Amino acid sequence: MTALVQTLVNGLLYGGILSIAAVGFSLIFGVMSVINLTHGIFVIGGAYGALVAWSVLGIDPLLSIPPLMLVAFALGWGCQRLVIQPAVERGNPVAALLVTFGFTLIAVNLLTVTFSSSVRSISPSYSFINLRVGDISIDLVRLVAFACGLALIAILGSFLRFSRWGRVIRATALSELGARLCGVDARAVYALTFAVASAFAAASGVLIGMMLPFTPAEEVTWTVYAFIVVTLGGVGSLGGAMLGGLLLGLVSTLTQTYLGAVYTNMVMFLILLVTLLVRPNGILGSAFKASR
Amino acid sequence: MTATDLLSVQGLAAGYGGALAVRGLDFTVAPGTIVVLVGANGAGKTTTVQVIAGAIRPSGGTIRFDGETVSGLDCPAMVGRGITLVPEGRLIFARMTVEENLLMGALNRRAAANLARNLDRVFTLFPRLAQRRGQLGGSMSGGEQQMLAIARGLMAEPRLMILDEPSLGLAPKVVAETFGLIRQLNAAGITILLVEQNVRQSLQLADRAFVIEKGRVVLSGDGPTLLDDPFVKTAFLGL
Repeated sequence: MTALVQTLVNGLLYGGILSIAAVGFSLIFGVMSVINLTHGIFVIGGAYGALVAWSVLGIDPLLSIPPLMLVAFALGWGCQRLVIQPAVERGNPVAALLVTFGFTLIAVNLLTVTFSSSVRSISPSYSFINLRVGDISIDLVRLVAFACGLALIAILGSFLRFSRWGRVIRATALSELGARLCGVDARAVYALTFAVASAFAAASGVLIGMMLPFTPAEEVTWTVYAFIVVTLGGVGSLGGAMLGGLLLGLVSTLTQTYLGAVYTNMVMFLILLVTLLVRPNGILGSAFKASR
Repeated sequence: MTATDLLSVQGLAAGYGGALAVRGLDFTVAPGTIVVLVGANGAGKTTTVQVIAGAIRPSGGTIRFDGETVSGLDCPAMVGRGITLVPEGRLIFARMTVEENLLMGALNRRAAANLARNLDRVFTLFPRLAQRRGQLGGSMSGGEQQMLAIARGLMAEPRLMILDEPSLGLAPKVVAETFGLIRQLNAAGITILLVEQNVRQSLQLADRAFVIEKGRVVLSGDGPTLLDDPFVKTAFLGL
């Protein structure tokens, strides 16, 4: 019984990280209908940014989140304007997919040249501390990362729901022409959306870097996980990303405990497949767009 | 164009990807009037008004608004100058509330400054929208959605309001209300450019009307004259 509760707690904590790591991907897919293969590189880039801040400058990873989000915001803006928008304007969805793939290859190689392909990790002073609640033990770093992830999702949700720019982003997602006729510069909205998504991807990368070892090539994992989370929960909705992430975290941890670590990816993809067959719009459907 | 025209379109050419839907279109809109564009499906009416609103770049011709050449400007610039298009199919934001839809209409600087006053005015004009301000736009009836689209357009404080097929898909009673509303807006000082397939009712409203065929103006005159025109009678009124 204790083992099961322990597994569920671990699963939820891991799921929270999967959720925050997927919201950026979900936002871009929901607003721009672009499958953004650069997503994972912004996540892993965030982890390397935190590594540099921690090992070179001695800054706590949690404190490095705001400045790294600003950097990722600027990089995301530039990437959208220079690389993705020209492909989108060709009106060919495959062009955008290929261009994000190419950008990712270049970025992974740049990271490898800079940091080598060795496995890195960040262990601040409060690593390896376990809190005990009855018979359950909770890794402090994971708990902190989970809380930060939820806080970040709440911040993004409030931005989209209540701010003027959030409203403009939602309106553009619902009807691009309708929004343009209100005087919205749709290109600026897409650049902003991409920049915000990149900032939250980088923030999730910092949290991931505190919990798990990482290499430049890990970016694929996080793009794929974001894809599964978003497909499972529902495209373009933060609630969907939350639900999808938590479910996937539980499933992955349960599989690891009771079936063995080698089966986790298989079970995750199996769930993706079943979702696509049974409920192609995901559990929560889309909060941004009507079903397409 | 005479110096007093609010909008003048000369030799306009536009289309999507090579095929020109509009070629050599000329018409003018005098300030304070209701001008109607009529024509069959595919005549180029929607393309014309989308070019004027800045949503499509023209491939030729000149658009002048209030004495300035504005051809090729984008939507934010056109809205800022006082041209607002209430598009065909309404394009309201279905999963946003009525109030959020209205706020989207007030993005330009002038409209943002007068937001509270304009919101008041719109809610007075459309009490039903005031009752439903927290409801999702997409959950309302077709007539209410059309009201919302017009109200959203009004929030931008337009000097020229372009309405593309506002009566499309509405019940006859609601259509009559919509035409009454257009007359009311015009009386309040907003110049109206109306695109309609409901030829009889729109011509009754028109100070001036232009008949468009295959991207060109083939006939123009005031509303009553065109209602009596033999070509209009056979082509649009089924007489």
